[in-house]
Amino acid sequence: MAIDWQQYRCEDFYDELFGGPGLPRPAARRLAEYLDDLSNAELAERRLAAELAIKVMGISFTVYSEGKNVDRAWPFDVIPRVIPRTEWEKTEAGLKQRVAALNLFIQDIYNDQKIVKDKVFPAELLHDSVNFRTQCVGMKPKHDVWAHICGSDLVRDKDGTLYVLEDNLRVPSGVSYMVENRLVMKRVLPELFENTTILPVDDYPAQLYDMLVAMSPRPLDQPNIVLLTPGIYNSAYFEHAWLAQQMGIELVEGSDLFVADDDCTYMRTIYGSKRVDVIYRRIDDLFLDPEVFHKDSVLGCKGLMRSWLKGRLGLANAPGAGVADDKVVYAFVPKMIKYYLGEDAILPNVPSWLCMNPKDRSHVLANLDKVVVKPANESGGYGMLIGPRATPEEREKFRGLIEANPRNYMAQPTLSLSTAPTLMNDETVEPRHLDLRPFILSRGDSTYVTTGGLTRVAMTRGSLVVNSSQGGGAKDTWVVDVEADAVAHPFSSQSQSQTSGPR
Amino acid sequence: MLSRVADSLYWFGRYLQRAENTARLINVNANLLLDLPKGMTMGWEPLIQIVGADETYKEHYSDVTEANILRFLMLDERNDGSILSSLHAAREILRTVRDSMPREVWEKLNDLHYFVQGRGEMVTSRTRRQEFLQRVIDGSVLVYGTLTTNMSRDVGFQFLKVGTNVEQADMTTRILDVRSTSLIDSSGRHDLAPFYNIQWMSVLRSLTAYQMYRRHVRARVNRTGVLRFLLQNREFPRSVMFCLGAVGACLPHLPQNRNVERTLWRVRALVQDANIERLVEKGLSELIDEIQIGLGEMHAAFAEAYFRKPSA
Repeated sequence: MAIDWQQYRCEDFYDELFGGPGLPRPAARRLAEYLDDLSNAELAERRLAAELAIKVMGISFTVYSEGKNVDRAWPFDVIPRVIPRTEWEKTEAGLKQRVAALNLFIQDIYNDQKIVKDKVFPAELLHDSVNFRTQCVGMKPKHDVWAHICGSDLVRDKDGTLYVLEDNLRVPSGVSYMVENRLVMKRVLPELFENTTILPVDDYPAQLYDMLVAMSPRPLDQPNIVLLTPGIYNSAYFEHAWLAQQMGIELVEGSDLFVADDDCTYMRTIYGSKRVDVIYRRIDDLFLDPEVFHKDSVLGCKGLMRSWLKGRLGLANAPGAGVADDKVVYAFVPKMIKYYLGEDAILPNVPSWLCMNPKDRSHVLANLDKVVVKPANESGGYGMLIGPRATPEEREKFRGLIEANPRNYMAQPTLSLSTAPTLMNDETVEPRHLDLRPFILSRGDSTYVTTGGLTRVAMTRGSLVVNSSQGGGAKDTWVVDVEADAVAHPFSSQSQSQTSGPR
Repeated sequence: MLSRVADSLYWFGRYLQRAENTARLINVNANLLLDLPKGMTMGWEPLIQIVGADETYKEHYSDVTEANILRFLMLDERNDGSILSSLHAAREILRTVRDSMPREVWEKLNDLHYFVQGRGEMVTSRTRRQEFLQRVIDGSVLVYGTLTTNMSRDVGFQFLKVGTNVEQADMTTRILDVRSTSLIDSSGRHDLAPFYNIQWMSVLRSLTAYQMYRRHVRARVNRTGVLRFLLQNREFPRSVMFCLGAVGACLPHLPQNRNVERTLWRVRALVQDANIERLVEKGLSELIDEIQIGLGEMHAAFAEAYFRKPSA
């Protein structure tokens, strides 16, 4: 017995696997028992096996430092995060509802703007949005879908409520790691997969491919679909190459493409030019087309916007979809759900104060030591103020920033992110904070949600920052069918004491 | 296949071959210098001419010393053709075509790159230098071997093969050019005759051709024999004729292009029809210039036919 769960200090936060020291939650019971049976040496062996698997499988992400690209191995913890299927089904429904409303919102914003006219969404918010693309006004993409791929970040607070922290509608990344994490786990802890019903996650590339095919402007069985990457210097390049490989599509760079006079997009091949039907682009709007956006961008391709606006090209995600990815717009999502769908939001938002409202602003400014302040349009955890951890100088700096540009800031209470046991280098376990990023694919006629998602862990003790660019790691995420397991293996764990009772 | 990927694979073949050839070249020159009598100062300069980097060298170094030249050829990042630069370029290319190459190739090349980058200090000691160069040669061969045993013979592979062979034909002609003009003239001094021959032997050795030459030619090593062997032999993989044949063998697998075919036939005819006996007297350097121009045209034809970037 190596891990002593009685010693596991998990009382200060909601722990995903344990209700208290030594008390695993029902969905995690088998896992806890299994880990219990492993000796220190065996644990170390599994941990090293995972590290090796990651190196051999080449799972890496790129960081740019000292003028060079460094491929870093993906930091990974072998203890999975477990979610009961019943809880997941509710979450899944909530995500589908949310993304449906977001797509309706984007379409509305670029067309009739009913939600503004009906005074549900403030007009001035739109005027100041840096992600509003005037070029998209009047556009109606095929199936009326704008955010085809959405990565929403979910966090759990101390009371166990799962909140949506943000929706990434531009180029969310991480899904390749979700799938690869599972492969690593199957190599490292295969025994657990034999007697636990863990729902599979590897369907994603096929679902994504089908969705992209459905976007084709030409009615073909096999439209030409490509993935557009900014290139090897991008931190998510591994994922770009991975997705292209999994879907069997070409991984292209901007210079491989051109838009001809017929407004169709082509790629340059050794056999001559070949028409491109759909681009899964992993480049931000502003770099997509130098004809329309940043004139000096070498990452994109001239004319893509023209091709898309004329309906000759499918783009995922649609340019301009980022208008709903703004952290201030985020605060209006529950209202959007009510407005467009006539439903109450299944998944709650984290309570938010918008600095543009004078009342909210004075509350935020008075509580800078307690709240988290976020700029409207940063991702990757940059440009944030975590009030309780900030120095007085940092707080004063943010006071100035907020007063100068209140529209650009919002604040939320500092959440006590939930934890899960994480294996340390000395084979002890400690709680580490985590979040969850599921991915939602919208086809128009149907919506697909990944089983679970990518669990990101802040590997440093006490840290709340889970981004891989800032020292975060990952865990495999298991959606477990507890009921099915109880039927299939009635004689294991707690029921055993009852059946062995007769004597 | 995307034009950019074809271009990348072509250059990957060239860079890998270049690193290996440069290592061999230095190794053989070091051995040759040990054999030459004191006072004969052929030295290291011809190597800079062979790789065609005189200008770059003069830009960065004020004097011509063994240490400087070797550093320049092996480790200088300012020299595009140095071993380190070639491996670095090959590695960067491999990143961009990660989805079309076997994963193992990446690991092997990565290993070699880190070795060269990390063990540069070995260059200063003569005994350790040889060990270093051998490791570069072995490493390149390992990468190439891993590649040829694991990669499908698709169009991508054909481009890699074209690159490898164009690079080898280029290097072989460069070595012949520089060595045949800078070699010492034996006509005046009888006592230098034995050295005259070891120089031609070293030309063969720098292309690992000595043993094969003996098997094919069965005659003593002399200028005519060496020239004929390295230019026209159809069986030795580093002869110009062989390389051009290998490029030709790739063409049926690629989309047909008249211009590519034409440039290849032209340079092949040039090599094939050369009258070696006559060349020994004069005209060698002109012929080699012509072959080099022909190779350049062939490269341009490939680039135009298959690698074109969209006009921005």
